[in-house]
Amino acid sequence: MCLGIPMQIKSIENYTARCEAKGVSRDVSLFMMQEEELNVDDFVVVHVGYAIQKISEQEAQTAWELYDQMLAADS
Amino acid sequence: MSASAKTWLERIRALPLDKADGRPIKIMNVCGGHERSITMAGLRKALPDTIELVPGPGCPVCICPEEDIFEAIQLALHEEIILVAFGDMLRVPVNVAKAEARTLEQAKAQGADIRPIASPTEAISIARDNPGTQVVFFAAGFETTTAPVAAMLAEGVPDNLSILLSGRLTWPAVAMLLDSGTPGFDALIAPGHVSTVMGPEEWEFVVKDHKIPAAVAGFTPESLLAAMYSTLRQLIEGRCFLDNCYPQLVRAGGNKSAQAHLATTMQVVDANWRGIGIIPASGYQLAEAYRSHDARERFPTYADDARKRAGEMPPGCDCAQVVLGKLYPNQCRLFGTACKPRNPIGPCMVSDEGACRIWWSAGIREPAAQEEREETLA
Repeated sequence: MCLGIPMQIKSIENYTARCEAKGVSRDVSLFMMQEEELNVDDFVVVHVGYAIQKISEQEAQTAWELYDQMLAADS
Repeated sequence: MSASAKTWLERIRALPLDKADGRPIKIMNVCGGHERSITMAGLRKALPDTIELVPGPGCPVCICPEEDIFEAIQLALHEEIILVAFGDMLRVPVNVAKAEARTLEQAKAQGADIRPIASPTEAISIARDNPGTQVVFFAAGFETTTAPVAAMLAEGVPDNLSILLSGRLTWPAVAMLLDSGTPGFDALIAPGHVSTVMGPEEWEFVVKDHKIPAAVAGFTPESLLAAMYSTLRQLIEGRCFLDNCYPQLVRAGGNKSAQAHLATTMQVVDANWRGIGIIPASGYQLAEAYRSHDARERFPTYADDARKRAGEMPPGCDCAQVVLGKLYPNQCRLFGTACKPRNPIGPCMVSDEGACRIWWSAGIREPAAQEEREETLA
């Protein structure tokens, strides 16, 4: 349950962001990110539907490469 | 990112690691995500045999008290409610007579309305979509998962939603191991996302009070190997400090907003860990102001005090020893024989974060020899 998934913000409305990763879209709560300035196109790490931290695009890519390897190993 | 995994491995191999007593150096991790990366990347085989990587208390599903799961099953079966829980929890078995529901999944098959969710926001949606029905959110997890539950409460939840909370803090389990005098590890890889939320400072006690090297790691092999290298260097140089090998996410002080939600909606209490017992100040309960959303207050109690005991793992199951890093998964007497992912006996074979399940997924299927088990326990 502790796995965080990097996603890109596509739109923001109040404390909810529409985020995307690998072509999958999800509503993500920004309620734990009130001290961080977030904008469309920023990347966040999402855990159980809540953004827990902002990250760079490069870090998001690195994390996704790892998850891809894990998913491949699991299948 | 800095050096590649190969470079970190070369650096580790170049370290003078032979210990005078011939015993391997044990590095413990306390995160199912770390254990998954280590195992899937085959880091154990890649490292010198002077280093052992020990999976420790890193699986919230594995240590969720049996009485909490029992209570969730009974609530779902006997009350007119919808029970929602993270998917992992649905298959964790409790000890009951054969005819009774052993898991939430079996209770669902008997007619209980139990729904797996992936986010607290889904619990809110289900409560809003069913205004005439009480919805109970069985929320088990470590800080990374409990903080979103706190955020959900702080933002406001429908009246018909209550929480059966089984949240735990990770560091007190490590403190308990260290205080025992026989921690079973020489260095610690601190959890990446717990530290992202709570701040890396939570782990300072490991280096300051116990003089055990520690480093926070991310989930790539590079970050994990960097953390291992750091702790090994600390050991060799006899100079301990808490290193942060996951600066991309882990920042000083952690996520203040998440911590504020936890402080507002919950309080820290002594709590039971399955198979381990009570660990002081290691669990969350709802704060007074949020007690009206506590499922334990809203519904008749199905808690059974007789279940609150340390020896509550299924007969023969060594999950508690595996969680504490006292045994490796394949050294459990049931691993790969009676206990497999399709028909798990213990919680460590159920959860994606359970060490047994992770080792099985990585292709480790054979139980270890009895002598090996006895050697580890010695």
